[in-house]
Amino acid sequence: MSARGIVNWFVDRLALKPILDYMHKKEVPQHHHTIWYYTGSSILLFLFIQIITGILLALYYQPTLEGANASVGRIMTELPLGWLVRSIHSWSATFMIATAVIHMLAIWFTKSYRKPREVTWMTGFVLLVVSMMFGFTGYLLPWDDLSLAATKVGTNIPKAIPVVGTWVTQLLRGGDDVTGDTLTRFFIFHVCVLPLLVFAVMIVHILLVQKEGMSIPLKDEVEKKKLPWLPFWPNFILRETMIWLVLLGILLTISVLFAPSLDLSADLMAPAPEGVKPEWYFLFLFQTLKIFPANMGPVTGEFVAVALILVVVVAIFFMPFLEGNPRGKRSKLVTYGGILGVIYAIVMSIWSLL
Amino acid sequence: MKLKHSLITRRNFLNGLFGGWAAAFAATFISPIVKFAWPPYKEPDEVKLLWSDYKDLKPGEVKGFPWGAKPGILKRSADGSFIAFVGVCTHLDCNVVWRPEQNKFFCACHDGWYDEEGKNIQGPPPKPLRRLDTAVEGEDFFVRKPEAKA
Repeated sequence: MSARGIVNWFVDRLALKPILDYMHKKEVPQHHHTIWYYTGSSILLFLFIQIITGILLALYYQPTLEGANASVGRIMTELPLGWLVRSIHSWSATFMIATAVIHMLAIWFTKSYRKPREVTWMTGFVLLVVSMMFGFTGYLLPWDDLSLAATKVGTNIPKAIPVVGTWVTQLLRGGDDVTGDTLTRFFIFHVCVLPLLVFAVMIVHILLVQKEGMSIPLKDEVEKKKLPWLPFWPNFILRETMIWLVLLGILLTISVLFAPSLDLSADLMAPAPEGVKPEWYFLFLFQTLKIFPANMGPVTGEFVAVALILVVVVAIFFMPFLEGNPRGKRSKLVTYGGILGVIYAIVMSIWSLL
Repeated sequence: MKLKHSLITRRNFLNGLFGGWAAAFAATFISPIVKFAWPPYKEPDEVKLLWSDYKDLKPGEVKGFPWGAKPGILKRSADGSFIAFVGVCTHLDCNVVWRPEQNKFFCACHDGWYDEEGKNIQGPPPKPLRRLDTAVEGEDFFVRKPEAKA
């Protein structure tokens, strides 16, 4: 059988014809917001890098109280390019969250979450939250004083929620306190539970994007204009590849120049170190918790802060229904709300670093 | 098929019956899974220390001890009695440190301060540090939860 014959055999047996036809016919509209389309595939690039470097790190990492810190040290000092693998994993996480936030903001400001893309928005927001959970669980794994203190604070936050909060904290910690069990469990969340979750939600997210097609600017939507377009294959893919190569170059450069450090193994009984900071994408939440006073009337300030954060998170998740405008209508309130949110996050993040 | 006067078809009834049975069957697995995932480890009711390790502590000095997985802090008062604290900030669970030069406990995570009695005096902590009871019995030095005394 010829090579073509073998390919055709697979196409036939796996019923791939409709998918291939779809890929050949897929068009990408060209307009002044097309650039945002590339943010989606950039997230995928960083996710792919996370999977590869993550598997490499897991070959040597030991998720135990005694072994964790030392095994990260071994990866960084003994294994060929180990320091770089860890550095890329750490930086690619940052890049992935950053591109995901840009991706989300682009959709927020172009109002692309509206009917019929409500579920695409909601799955996308879940993916961002899961990505942040990846960051939170991964931060503990090197097991130094800073990561331990950050985890204590982070896992204590659910306690402010009445009834179920303590339960959530116990599930996260594997007990009332952060111990070696917490480390093992964070590792399993990081390399097993969260990846399964990400893949399940991501498949729905990407299939929905294919089902509804690319969202186009509000104005063109109203005028029902047929926009100029590029074939997805190979023209658009070629452009995406170019962007991937540039991003890869930036990622590698930064990873080589600014490799993360590793402190001494954490001591569960030691006082919290000064200058405890979470990852940059949690800084605005960290600062929000900090500015609330100890008690506000009958409840703690922490409860008020956590309740407010939860309300905002739920509101963002249900955004397409809360706004409820038809496609094509502008909504200044949402735009200003988005700008205000971005300014708040930036100001609070900078404040937390002062 | 739907009988006269019946609200649902036989198919719907059987679907519900089978679906309900399958759901109930699956639910029986939830309890053991939940019990396994939420561990049974609890804070100790008391810990036993050696009196000889602590009897030479000078008034105003502090010394740590393990209170389960948390750090405990023993502080000797001016009158020679001991005060035991759970050395964990009441705000978000970070370990606190005794600052002898200021006569205060300090939590570095969010700038929380407690006075020498463990009372929250500055920053976000909503409550004083948790106090524990102490008792010397022969060679042993016990630190206990206040409610465990009875």
